[in-house]
This record gives sequence, C-alpha cells and structure tokens, in this order.
Amino acid sequence: MVMVCARIRLFVAAIALLVLAAAAPVAAQQPNSVDPNAEAVKEQQLLQQFRRIQGLGTIPDTKSYLIEQPQGRQWQHYHEVLLPWIGTLAMLGMIALLVIFFLIRGMVRIKSGRSGINIVRFNAFERFVHWMTATCFVLLALTGLNITFGKVALLPVIGPSAFSAWSLAAKYVHDYLSFPFTLGVILIFLMWIAGNVPNPVDVEWLKSGGGIIGSSEPPAYRFNAGQKIVYWIVVLGGAAVAITGYLLMFPFYGTTIAGMQLAQMIHGTVAVLFVAVMIAHAYIGTIGMQGAFEAMGEGTVDLNWAKEHHSLWLEEERARTDSKQMQGRPSATPAE
Amino acid sequence: MRAFLVACLAVVVIGAGGYFFLASMQEPSGVAYATNGARITTNWSWRSVGSRAGECDARKSWQWVFVDFGKPEGESAICSISQ
Repeated sequence: MVMVCARIRLFVAAIALLVLAAAAPVAAQQPNSVDPNAEAVKEQQLLQQFRRIQGLGTIPDTKSYLIEQPQGRQWQHYHEVLLPWIGTLAMLGMIALLVIFFLIRGMVRIKSGRSGINIVRFNAFERFVHWMTATCFVLLALTGLNITFGKVALLPVIGPSAFSAWSLAAKYVHDYLSFPFTLGVILIFLMWIAGNVPNPVDVEWLKSGGGIIGSSEPPAYRFNAGQKIVYWIVVLGGAAVAITGYLLMFPFYGTTIAGMQLAQMIHGTVAVLFVAVMIAHAYIGTIGMQGAFEAMGEGTVDLNWAKEHHSLWLEEERARTDSKQMQGRPSATPAE
Repeated sequence: MRAFLVACLAVVVIGAGGYFFLASMQEPSGVAYATNGARITTNWSWRSVGSRAGECDARKSWQWVFVDFGKPEGESAICSISQ
C-alpha cells in the first residue's frame, strides 16, 4: 500500500512538472510580460528617459563610458547651426555695412592734401609685430572658418579628397600658428598699452563720430578712441581665443568634456566676431582712409594726415623733437 | 615691406617651433585614450595574413589567437596595405 501511494505521489509530481514546463514558454510569449533586459538595451528609450547613455567599460579611459549626453547635443546644435549663423551674420553684415559706408562716404581723404613731409608713426619693431600678428590672424581665420563653413562652402566645390587633404593641412596650420599669434598679441599688449588707456579726449572723439561721420576732425593722441577699441578687442579677443584654443589643443588638461565644449563655443563665437572687426580694421587701414596704410606699410605718415587725425600726438612729437634738438641730438622723427 | 617679410619669416620659424613643441607634448588620440589591447594598427590587414602569404611573413598561431596587430620587423610595406 505504501509503495502504491509513493508511486502515485511520484506520478502526480511528474505530471505537475510537465505542466509547469509546458506552461513556462507560453507565459514568456505573453504580450504583457516584462523583460527588463530587453527594455534596458533600447538606447533610444534610455536616451528619452535619462537624456544620456552611459555604461561601463574595461579600458582605463572612463570618459569613454559616456556615449551620449544633453550637453553634447547642445554643443552640436551650436556648432552646426548657431555658430554658422552668428559667423555669417557678423562677417557678411560687416562687409555689407562697409560697402554701404564706402558708397556713401567714399575714401576719407587728407583734406588739406599731402604736405610732402613724412613723420615716423610706427617703428620697425612695431610694424614687425603688427604684421606677424596680422599674417597669423588671416591664416588662423581661414583655417578656422574652414571648420565651420568648409563642409558647406568648400566640400561641394573641390570634392572630398581635396577637402580632406586641405582640412588636415589647415588643422595643423591652425595649431602651429597659434604660437606666433599669441606672441604677437602679448607684444601688442605690452607695446601699445600706454597709448591705449581711455581718457576724456576719447569721449569727445566718439561724440563727433571720429571725423569719419561728419566734417569735423576731433583731436586725438597717438591712438584715437576707435583705434583703442580695436586694440582692446585684439588684446581681450586674442587672449580669449588663445586660452580657449590651448584648452582644446590639450584635451582634458584641467578640463572635462563640458569644459571643452564651453571652450569651443567661446573660441568659435569670439573668433567669428573677431574676424568681423578685423575686416573693418583692414578696410579703414586701406581703402577707407587715404594715407592710413603707409603708417604700417612704410612706418611714416604725411604731416597733414597727422594734423587732421592725431593732432595731439603731433604736438607731442613736435615737443619731443624740439626738446631733442635743444639738447643737440639729431631728431629721428621727420622722415621726408 | 621689409617688416612684413621679416614677420612672415618669424611666423614660419615660430610655427615650426610650435610643431616640435607639440610633437614632444602630444600623442595620437588612438594611443592617448586606449590601452595596448584596444589599439588597432592600420598597418595590419587580413590581406597580409592570407592572400600574400608567399610574399609576407605568415602570422604565428598565437598572433591569430591573441589578435596581435604587430608588424614583423623588415616586412615589405605591401604586406601592410589596409583592406
């Protein structure tokens, strides 16, 4: 009897196991069942819920474990959409303004004509520093703008092979020329800081539109208010692009991904605005004003140009020259 | 004009100095942010292992097992053409 009961229990247990085994796959196929592992691998769902995709890895670089993050999308939007718009508006807007201004005002001429007497405006070292910085700036601007506009403006024209080769070379040029550019900005800061401290004369100069707008010729020392504005844009803008550029050149040296994204945003924005300002600077230094280019080209300006645009500086120079002559030293200022 | 030319020369010289400075400081991102086991050398290819077996040194078994991407010393450059 005992044996029979034991066999019946064994038979019932076996049947129960068979029923469970048959029911398990059916339960797994139920549409309402939850499979946490299956849900976890849906990256799009993770991204929507947590705004980031992050995992674990086995390589030492833990930064690589973070695949997607909100700041990355914001940075991409800035880099691909905002920056090209800021740059386009700033640079083309500046060119349009200058064209309109030139059509209305024309070249600002020396009213009393050339005197035939030249005086030294910038010595050889000042011109060397200016041209070193300017040359670097032009090359840095072209190679930098390639990063923002190259894909749209250049790639369709020259094709992927040439664009790749050019972009690689441009990247290296951009890196290496940052050094002479930074040196130039530092030298400009030190060389001309004394003449670029704002003073009350600048306020009057700005009120009268610098003589460019209107007919009056406001007095100015060696650098007028407009030149001082350009000076501080070069010094502060140059410092900003240099610092942020070096942060990008040495990734993760004191910065994180977020820090480098911020650095790139500052670098790009300041750079395109910098280019817009330098377009205006180049305009007024060449076709915008008669006699202005000579100051940096040859180092001298016409006496009448100095009288009209920098009368207080001319007085200082004359006083200095007279003082030297009284002391029996030859003057180096007049350069006919 | 002379100041401009000297400035251009200075740009080239200081830029070249920048090249050597960066070359001494930086390393390729593939090296900087990866371990030896995770690096893939572009000089290695399956072609160098298989079809050009006559010209190229055959990889040892352990290289196959451990996916060694090294290039045998003195091997012809043609063996390392990327796929």
